[in-house]
Amino acid sequence: MRPLTEEETKIFFEKLAKYIGRNIVHLIDRPDEPYCFRLQRDRVFYVSEAIMKRATSVSRDNLLTLGVCFGKFTKTLKFKLHITALEHLAQYAKYKVWVKPTGEMPFLYGNHILKAHLGRITEDTPEHQGVIIYSMGDVPLGFGVTARSTQDCRKLDPTTICVFHQADVGEYLRDEEHLT
Amino acid sequence: MDVTEQLQALKLKYKSVEVEKLIPVDFDLGNLVAYDTNSVDVEELRKNGDRYLHDIAREGTQLLLNQIFALPTESSPEGVYAKLPAGTTVVPRAKPIPKDKPLTRWEKFAKVKGIQKKKTSRKTYDESVQEYKPKWGYQGANNTADDWIKEVPDRADPMEDQYEKAREEKTARVTKNKTQERRNLQEAAATAAGQNPRDVRKAEVRKKILESKGATASMGRFDKQLKNEDAVKVKRTKRKFESATQDGAAEKEGVMNVVKKVLKGEDGKLINMTTAVKHVHQKGGMKVVDMDEGKKKKQKGRSKK
Repeated sequence: MRPLTEEETKIFFEKLAKYIGRNIVHLIDRPDEPYCFRLQRDRVFYVSEAIMKRATSVSRDNLLTLGVCFGKFTKTLKFKLHITALEHLAQYAKYKVWVKPTGEMPFLYGNHILKAHLGRITEDTPEHQGVIIYSMGDVPLGFGVTARSTQDCRKLDPTTICVFHQADVGEYLRDEEHLT
Repeated sequence: MDVTEQLQALKLKYKSVEVEKLIPVDFDLGNLVAYDTNSVDVEELRKNGDRYLHDIAREGTQLLLNQIFALPTESSPEGVYAKLPAGTTVVPRAKPIPKDKPLTRWEKFAKVKGIQKKKTSRKTYDESVQEYKPKWGYQGANNTADDWIKEVPDRADPMEDQYEKAREEKTARVTKNKTQERRNLQEAAATAAGQNPRDVRKAEVRKKILESKGATASMGRFDKQLKNEDAVKVKRTKRKFESATQDGAAEKEGVMNVVKKVLKGEDGKLINMTTAVKHVHQKGGMKVVDMDEGKKKKQKGRSKK
C-alpha cells in the first residue's frame, strides 16, 4: 500500500473529472474525517486515514482490500473505473441520465442504452461526456459515456445507442472475481 | 557588261573567311567550343564596346567553322555531316563521385580467390510446362512448393512430409541470408567508424551477456558464477515512493496541486456557451430534459383528431 505518485494522481483525477468535474475537491476536502487515496495491487482505494493507518500492519501480500476501490491502473498506466466507485460518483455527478423501467434490465446486463430506454437526461450534455445512469426512482445503476449530445438525442431512432455502457451494478454478480 | 565591279562590291559586303590571331585559338570540336586566349584591347572596348565584342565573337565562330569544314564528312540522303571528334573539355560534376560500397564477406572472399561473376541468362527452359521461366523468385523454376507430387528420397522416413521439409529448408535459407546481410551491415558500420568489426561484436556480446545475467530476480547477485567470469554490477535507481503514513496535511496539499492542474485543463475545454448563457438567465441549477414530453403531446394531438 502506498500513496499515488504525482503522475498516477494526475491520470486518476483526469478520469474522475470526466464524471464529477470540479467536485473532485469534495472527495479530498471532507468536513467529517480526513480521507486519502492509496494504491495497493494496482488498485486505487479511497479510505479514511484512520483505517489506512491500521491497515499498515497488514503485509502487502495479505492486504486484499480497504476502504472503497475506485478502480485500477492497467499495465500501460491507464485508469479504469470500477463500479464500486459509483456511490461517490453518483453523489457528485455533473451530468445524469435516467433510464426507463423497461431499460433497466438491459443496462444491468451490460448493454448500451438505446434511445427508446432513455427517460431523462441533463440539459446540454455534450457528446462523449461521462454520465451517471439512474433509474427513474433516482437509484444509481452505473455509468457510461454519451454517444450523442442532448440536442442530437431528441431526433434519434428508438434503436440507436445514446449512452455507451461502461459499468453497471450488475457487475457485482457477473464480475465478482474481478472486483475484489 | 563588267562583272568585276559587282564582285568587288560583294566581297566588301562580306568579311573575309580567313582570320588572323596573335595567339592561335584552342578548339574543342567535340563540344563545338573555341577558346580565344588573346588579350582584350581595353581602349577599343571602351570606345565601342558592343561592336568590338561582336567582332571577336564573329572571328572565333569563323575559326571554329573553318575547323569543322576541315573535318572528314559523311554524306547521307538528308545532307552532309561532319564527324566530330570526342570532346576534350573536362566539365565539373554537380555532385561528388559516389563512394564505393563496402565489400560484403563474400565479395572480399571472391576477390582474394579471384572468383569473378559470370553472366548467365536469368531464364531457364522449364520442360514440364514447355516455357521459359526465371531461375528464381516470383514464379521461378526453383519454386517446388506448387509441385503436385514429391518424391520421397531413398532411406528417408516415409512418414515425413516432404512439403513441410521443403518449406522449412526455405525458411532456414531465408533467415540465414538475412543474418548474413545484417552482419555485413554491422561490419561495414564498424569499419566506417574505424574500428575492428570483431572487437565491436565481442564487446556487444559481452554487454548482452551481462545484461541477461542481471535479469534474474536477484539481479544476478545469487546466481552461480563461473571461474574468471565478470561479476554483474548492475546499478539501477530504485523507485521511490512516499511513505503510506506520511503527514496527512502535506499529502493533501500535494494532491490539491495536482487537482488544480487537472481542473485547469477541464475548464479550458469545457466552457459550453449555451449552458453558460442559460445558467445566467435561469439563475443556476442544471435543467433536465424529459425525453417523452414532446411525444405525449403529439399523441394527444393525434387522438383528438
